[in-house]
Amino acid sequence: MSKNNVPVLEVKNLVKKFKNFVAVDNISFSIEEGEILGFLGPNGAGKSTTINCFLGVIKPDGGEIKIFGKGLIKNRSEIMQKVNYCSAEYHMPWNLSVYESLLVYSTLYQVGSAKKRILELLELFDVSDLRNKRIRELSFGQRARVSIAKSLLNHPRLLLLDEPMASMDPDVVDRGIRLIKKIQKEEKISILYTSHNMWEIEQVADKVVFINHGKVIAQGTPLELTQQELKLEAKEPNLREVFIHLSRRSLKEGIEGKGNPSTSLRVKS
Amino acid sequence: MNFTRVYAIVLRHIFLTMHQLERFADMFLFPIFGLLLWGFVSVYIGLNSAGLAAFLMGGMILWVVFERVSTAVGVDFMFDIWEQNLMNVLASPITILEYIGGLVVVAIVKVVVSFLVMLAIAGIFYNFHITTLGVSLVLLWFNLVLFATVLGIFNIAIILRWGHTVGPLTWILPFFLQPFTAVFYPVDILPNVLQKIAWFLPITHVFEGMRFAMTSGKFDSEEFFTGLFFNLVYFVFTVLFFAYMFNLVKRKGTLVKL
Ligand SMILES: Nc1ncnc2c1ncn2[C@@H]1O[C@H](COP(=O)(O)OP(=O)(O)OP(=O)(O)O)[C@@H](O)[C@H]1O
Ligand SMILES: [Mg+2]
Repeated sequence: MSKNNVPVLEVKNLVKKFKNFVAVDNISFSIEEGEILGFLGPNGAGKSTTINCFLGVIKPDGGEIKIFGKGLIKNRSEIMQKVNYCSAEYHMPWNLSVYESLLVYSTLYQVGSAKKRILELLELFDVSDLRNKRIRELSFGQRARVSIAKSLLNHPRLLLLDEPMASMDPDVVDRGIRLIKKIQKEEKISILYTSHNMWEIEQVADKVVFINHGKVIAQGTPLELTQQELKLEAKEPNLREVFIHLSRRSLKEGIEGKGNPSTSLRVKS
Repeated sequence: MNFTRVYAIVLRHIFLTMHQLERFADMFLFPIFGLLLWGFVSVYIGLNSAGLAAFLMGGMILWVVFERVSTAVGVDFMFDIWEQNLMNVLASPITILEYIGGLVVVAIVKVVVSFLVMLAIAGIFYNFHITTLGVSLVLLWFNLVLFATVLGIFNIAIILRWGHTVGPLTWILPFFLQPFTAVFYPVDILPNVLQKIAWFLPITHVFEGMRFAMTSGKFDSEEFFTGLFFNLVYFVFTVLFFAYMFNLVKRKGTLVKL
């Protein structure tokens, strides 16, 4: 239970502009303790920009971000002690071995019994035999697994995952998903999860926030969204169809309305 | 300031240095070959003037301290960009102050190693002992390392803003300054205008101070404090410039695209 039921992450009216282009447009949502939130949207919708605002590496133009009930700007270091991040886009230091790079990050996050924790995570992600290999020698998917292991080093209370499994094979994704769910249950982690693989999201997400052109255009549980956007009588979530439906709907609105449709696929429907 | 996190940066570079041969070369080969060259020049000149020979050797050794520290700070920062690791570091609890602090500590540790190697070579092969300067040497070092740090922070600021295309400035900038800093000759040799420029550079006062100490055996506190004064002024301006740039790239969203 979180103290006084404060959401683990609470964002209100977040705005980020790059010159005249509005990448994040008045986004608000929250993540409760132990909740996994699927953060969906087409390419260029503003997902990574939003996450980078949560990390404090992009400065928003407006709005408020609270993590563990505290303002991000004033308490960044303290907050990040219990947050972690993983994206397939960035790597662990290339010239270090798997073990060394994890040791560096354990030190950065001041992890107690670092060695034990590292070996435990390497085992969990099935990369123990790679521990002395350099990061640059690893395959894409192996590197991604090491990055996910890194993101769990400090027993985070909030995990920000920006397409963490983008380069993994289906078998590994399947195992990765199971692991994340297992760890999430055991350690009560809250997770913000971004992916273009709808199956992944259906497996993990308790709730989905769908954004396009920087705006939240729908939110709810995967099943709620399916019923709301496709058909009321649906029994199973079908996020793939919901995704396509929502992207095209906002594309049309973009063309007819004042939005900027350039970031969505142009598909005649 | 959290020293464990500073140590994490040091640890990262200990591992990097162990794996990267060229990182070792930076520490040993440059100083050794530089010293050999100037050592022989000094021997040749020493046939006529022992004093001048000592100036050259001393100038060379102290120059390496300055040049290595300032270059290391910038280059070690770029390693995190080259290895696409910067974002993971910035996402951690580390503050930018701790991060740069770590880079400076790494640079100083490396230059101490280089310095000891140079001391040994100068002592054994050329019978030159800069340690006879005693406490003066420590104070000269202080101004050298401080200005090198200022230059390093400046370099990081412009790399943050313009990316690693401006990276080469990291190792070029010290050599742009070298002619004006009177490393190998007294400031009086320079034309009048250049002397004025030289006076504003903190390390000019280090090299002038070194020559004074070598000839008189005394410490020139006026040179020291003049150097220190300019150092502190540049330090304050560079930190402000850095803070401005760091803020700017967070606003422009380019920090995550480096
Ligand atoms: N530094 C920047 N300067 C200008 N525009 C930017 C910058 N960073 C992002 N953008 C723009 O902001 C929009 C949102 O980008 P963002 O990376 O957040 O999208 P995303 O939802 O993560 O997309 P993807 O699914 O492709 O990863 C894009 O149109 C992008 O071009
Ligand atoms: Mg993205």
